[in-house]
Amino acid sequence: MERDSDSPTSDAPSTSRRRWGALWLALLGVAIVELVGHFVVQARVVPDDDWARAAGLVRRAHRPGDLIVAAPGWADPLVRQALGDLIEPAEAGRSDLAGYERLWALSIRGHRPEEAPDAPAELDRAVGAVRVLRWRLPSEPVLYDFTEHVREARVTLGTGDGARRCTWRRTGRPRGGGLGAGPIQPAERHVCDPRRSWLWVGTTIQDDLDLSPRYCIWQHPAGREPIRATFPGVPLGERLVLYGDVYYEHERHEEHGPVHVTVSVNGEPVGRMTHRDGDGWKRMEASTEVPGAGARGEVTVEVTAPNPHLRTFCWAATTRGSDE
Amino acid sequence: MRFRWIGWRDHLLGLALGAAYVAALLVGSRDVGMARDEGFYVVAAERYGAWFERLFEDPSAATTREAVDAAWSYNHEHPSLVKSMFALSHLAQERWELFAQPSMAYRFFGMLCGGLLLWVIYVFGARVYGRAVGAFGALAFALIPRVFYHSQLAAFDVPIVLMMTLVTYCYWRSLTDARWAIVTGLVYGLALETKHNAWTLPAIFLIHFLFVVFTERRAREAGAPKRVSYVPWWLLSMALLGPPIFVGLWPWMWWDTVPRFGEYAGFHLNHVHYNMAYFGVNYFRPPLPMSFPWVMTLFTVPLVTLALAVAGVGARLRALIPPGLLERVWPKGGVEPDPSRTDVLLFGSMLAPLVVISMPWTPIFGGTKHWFSAYPYLALFAAVAFVRVAGAARRWLPDRVPLRRHTARVGAAAVLLAPPLVETIHSHPFGLSHYTFAAGGVPGAADHGMNRQFWGFTTGSLTEWFEERMPDGGTVWICDTTWSAWRMLQRDGRLAENIRATGDLVNADYAIVHHEHHFVEVDYQIWAAWGSVAPVHVLTYDGVPIISVYEHPRHARREGDVP
Repeated sequence: MERDSDSPTSDAPSTSRRRWGALWLALLGVAIVELVGHFVVQARVVPDDDWARAAGLVRRAHRPGDLIVAAPGWADPLVRQALGDLIEPAEAGRSDLAGYERLWALSIRGHRPEEAPDAPAELDRAVGAVRVLRWRLPSEPVLYDFTEHVREARVTLGTGDGARRCTWRRTGRPRGGGLGAGPIQPAERHVCDPRRSWLWVGTTIQDDLDLSPRYCIWQHPAGREPIRATFPGVPLGERLVLYGDVYYEHERHEEHGPVHVTVSVNGEPVGRMTHRDGDGWKRMEASTEVPGAGARGEVTVEVTAPNPHLRTFCWAATTRGSDE
Repeated sequence: MRFRWIGWRDHLLGLALGAAYVAALLVGSRDVGMARDEGFYVVAAERYGAWFERLFEDPSAATTREAVDAAWSYNHEHPSLVKSMFALSHLAQERWELFAQPSMAYRFFGMLCGGLLLWVIYVFGARVYGRAVGAFGALAFALIPRVFYHSQLAAFDVPIVLMMTLVTYCYWRSLTDARWAIVTGLVYGLALETKHNAWTLPAIFLIHFLFVVFTERRAREAGAPKRVSYVPWWLLSMALLGPPIFVGLWPWMWWDTVPRFGEYAGFHLNHVHYNMAYFGVNYFRPPLPMSFPWVMTLFTVPLVTLALAVAGVGARLRALIPPGLLERVWPKGGVEPDPSRTDVLLFGSMLAPLVVISMPWTPIFGGTKHWFSAYPYLALFAAVAFVRVAGAARRWLPDRVPLRRHTARVGAAAVLLAPPLVETIHSHPFGLSHYTFAAGGVPGAADHGMNRQFWGFTTGSLTEWFEERMPDGGTVWICDTTWSAWRMLQRDGRLAENIRATGDLVNADYAIVHHEHHFVEVDYQIWAAWGSVAPVHVLTYDGVPIISVYEHPRHARREGDVP
């Protein structure tokens, strides 16, 4: 049996024993620090009322072109609960900050939003434990957001004379839902082949490789024969910025083939992107200053894949720059 | 090292600790929603229960292959012993109404195992290091927040820790008393029938036994008398008694035993990988970072318990050094290794589960429960340090303090167990969402991007909200909660019968999202389907979102919440 250190002979402690004793007693300090720390953590929990008052401040000064975010990201559900009526699904699933004029952040625990400009906030107000921050964003006008015009697009499957027109359908209600089920099929969409239920084109929200929401146009490739979405009368501006990705669960194993995207203006290819597993929400930028093209043109986005199995591709694009 | 004699008073004290724990678990379990896996085990237990009833009525009909397979094939990826106990407990509930809620009847055996485990830890600790170590060790184990949570469940995780600790204790006794080898084999059979974690025990014991044999050989060479046998009677007993008990208690194994065992083993050897968030990354295939079980232990076991355990290992370090090396590196010291190399056994039993989970080829299980079998020994080493702290406190106390030894021990225990007690109470009923001070608490863990929950059990914390919000009933899409778990909330009287679960997300009146990293997909589906990103309610724990509740706009319009 181990000799108890508090045996009777220990009544006259030596210097060494006292030193060791102090070290053992330091463990009592660990307990006290942990206990105090626990209550400090509790005291720093943000009260519901602080969120409500901070949201009220934002709500009173909010205007079109404002974007609202949470910092840190895990507080996002609380911000959406308080201000969700001011956040459209397209804003929550934005690709970048183009088109927004101001960025609001409801920040706790000293966090700063990742998207914040590298400059001091023009507004910084503490509302209890919540800081309301606001930045003015660099101007980057969006002339045309393709996700807003899906219905107007002419969608076809195949090439040449064999190309079939996909039909615009209003089914009355969306379809899908559940973990691993992939993005929701919207109630309104272009249906390309009823026998292949994944061949439709329409707007939805997809989780990208970082699990971020992406409001985008689902355009699952059919194989080598292209699915084309042609948008008429698009203000071309200076450039077209396109982002695209495959649904998280179909990309994360990095075991499937590439998806090819070609963007054409008035039938002339202006940009190509190949998305490979692991690329995530990939950006492509193409000049729309095509010789002979006017201020407006017809933009076609064509998607193919050598092997379309589980190529759940979704993209979002805008034209940007001056529309003069 | 001479081991302390344990008498009936010790067993009584151990049982009293266990009984108090079971009482606390029974009270606590009222608030804990049924977890995903529990739902499957409840279904299995109901089938087993029906079979038991048939067995009592008509044994020959019940023991036909058709009858056995019909009852015991479900959930055959896990052995049947624990689920059988759930079934018998529930049959007792049906007959005598012993428990306040049906869920308690299924969960009671798990709680009982939690209580018995404290008894075993107390006896083990008291016999090896003294009563103070046994008592403190049992309490330190009981007051690990996630242990407290899992001890309330109808699951295998705490029963297997009980069985593994008990087998280890019996093995340790068998080293100096061959009669215990028989008990070791019997208990090992029960452990095999509890959960597959028991497969690792022979390897741990073999490594330890090498220490014992080499220590014994050197002692005999130095002229010492025989103290332990070179013959591993325990291993023979485990090999001979374990498999028959395993097969005998599991009716599904009675036919096609070899292929069925292959199917059972194959399930675990080729286990699916769960999603697990760790420092902001959602891992879904191995390898998980090797640091995972160590950091999760740091973040979920009270810091003071860990600090004590490290200090306790330090205090016993000399007894951990292999024979041959000890004489050269640390020839003299206050701690002597005993012939059974008990410290090595406890240290190895503490490390082994963590090491196994750290291996890059180990499937992603995610939960800390998978290395709970380390914690009894961690608690015992913590208790070794506690005795040192109490001894130091006694020397620092003024002479005028009455009963210095007892005052120091009680005072030190009160201070050292206060954080674990406070944290365990605070963790309830969000056990799996709880993180300790070392992680910065629950918000700190959220900042670090750690997993927030799994199994969908937190739905149990929403029942009052749903009852208030849905007086006329309706449908709820229940995300990670199983149908049987939802049904149990209704059977327990916590949720109205007319608030129904549905698998149709798009048309549900309400939908919930359990906040795990990979479940954001469901948030996005709801946004797309219902056209709004705004939840109507967010269940939080320490200010951190646990569940978002969305309301279908059609339902909101009907209820007049929106124009």
